[in-house]
Amino acid sequence: MNATLDPAIRLRDVHLLFGRTLALDLEHLEMRAGERVFVLGHSGSGKTTLSRLIKGRLKPSTGTVRVFGNDPTAKDSRRETQRRIAMIDQEYFLVPRLDVVDNVLHGCLGRVSPWRSYLGWYPGEEWEKAESILEEVELGGLGYRRVETLSGGQRQRTAIARALMQDADIIVADEPVSALDPELAEDALELLVECVARRGITLIVNLHQPELARRFATRFVGLANGRLVYDGSPDGFTKQHAELVYRAQPKGEMRDEQPETGTPPTASGSDLRLVGD
Amino acid sequence: MAISGLLFWALRWSEFDLGVLVSSGPRFSEFFARLVPPDWSVTTLVLKSAIETLMIALAGTALAVVFSLPVGFLAASNVSPPWIAQPMKLLLGLIRSVPLIVVAMLFVSAVGLGPFPGMLAIAFHSIGMLGKFYAEEFETADPGILEAVSGTGATKGQTLRYGLLPQSIPQVVAFTVYRLEMNFRDAAVLGLVGAGGIGYYIQLYVRGFQYERVAVLLTVIVVMVVALDNMTFWIRKWVR
Repeated sequence: MNATLDPAIRLRDVHLLFGRTLALDLEHLEMRAGERVFVLGHSGSGKTTLSRLIKGRLKPSTGTVRVFGNDPTAKDSRRETQRRIAMIDQEYFLVPRLDVVDNVLHGCLGRVSPWRSYLGWYPGEEWEKAESILEEVELGGLGYRRVETLSGGQRQRTAIARALMQDADIIVADEPVSALDPELAEDALELLVECVARRGITLIVNLHQPELARRFATRFVGLANGRLVYDGSPDGFTKQHAELVYRAQPKGEMRDEQPETGTPPTASGSDLRLVGD
Repeated sequence: MAISGLLFWALRWSEFDLGVLVSSGPRFSEFFARLVPPDWSVTTLVLKSAIETLMIALAGTALAVVFSLPVGFLAASNVSPPWIAQPMKLLLGLIRSVPLIVVAMLFVSAVGLGPFPGMLAIAFHSIGMLGKFYAEEFETADPGILEAVSGTGATKGQTLRYGLLPQSIPQVVAFTVYRLEMNFRDAAVLGLVGAGGIGYYIQLYVRGFQYERVAVLLTVIVVMVVALDNMTFWIRKWVR
């Protein structure tokens, strides 16, 4: 993979409809390998939809999503593609009743032999890797605790560890710190960014708070009502941009008219009729 | 209104007669009076056949679990496509609706007398219930967790093994041991149709009015049911 030439992620003319609601409308969006892109926007602005498209959990209604040149929803290469794109969900979705280290080891399921793993056998090097990652995310010594006995911050770090275990090229984190209080949230983000930077992984984080994002991002993407309203450096993200992102109309009554917030810089505007029909 | 009408009709149909019940009181008391003193000379015999019944129940339940787990996956709508899950559920319903005694008689005529057809009957009958319960339990699994495990690049089988089973195990075990209890009681009557176990002696002693021996039968069965009940309670508690 040539990081400097090919974008890691490329979205072209992507429209995604949920029923009659246009959830996402992106003409063009690319992310390069090694970038740390923070996606800002209201709940319902399309952040989660965008991350699910990249992860391949959703198919666009029209347009194309390519991750390393491949369709992330393609069935034939599913296992490899899924392994290369790790996702940290807002609710973490750790497997209850299992120990921390078991949950972390799930990260290697995409590369170990299925038959061996049915019996609960993981290769020795995967165990070593899991243990070193647990140390890295400051969960050393907690490996044999059941996940439901952990605090919120510890669960969050378990989810990070599982994602790191995947040896992914991209980590998509959807509101990864929204369940934590502000201080813990900042620590958790810092940890995530450090681990990712050490490995040169591309990071995409959905976040509500631009001030928090500023500390860690190499690039901001602002979404409002499913449209791109900002795409650029964190330094260039001004108060006006913040207003554009955060004063967007609530979902449901959007679409048919242009919002009064002005013409979004890169929104396509060509397919407004999609919803009205 | 409709329900009480139905109940009234059901009582009529069952030839419910309070008079007969009251007038047969002396016969009940005679029955209980003749239970004592129990004839302990048959204890070894009864105990042996009771253990055979227990083994029929254990082996039958185990065989049922082996089939019910894959069947449960096939019948669960979040694991299998609807064109497999729906017919599977229907099939399980059909299996459940065949009375155990009929199943046992069929197996006896197929493989001959003894505990083996009894065990097969228990297994067959249990699949109908366990398969359904397992499927319903699998369907309650958190889809977010399944998505998260599958998102690591896990195969479908790995996702079931690591994402679904850990969520479902406590209930799966609880249903299974509950079914084991039921199977022990069911297996106790299988001997009536020649399918092994304590049922043979129930038939022999009750029909022969040997109530002193029936007392031994009842004691052994009650003790074993209570013991089984306690054991399954601890198993359920242990698997949480």
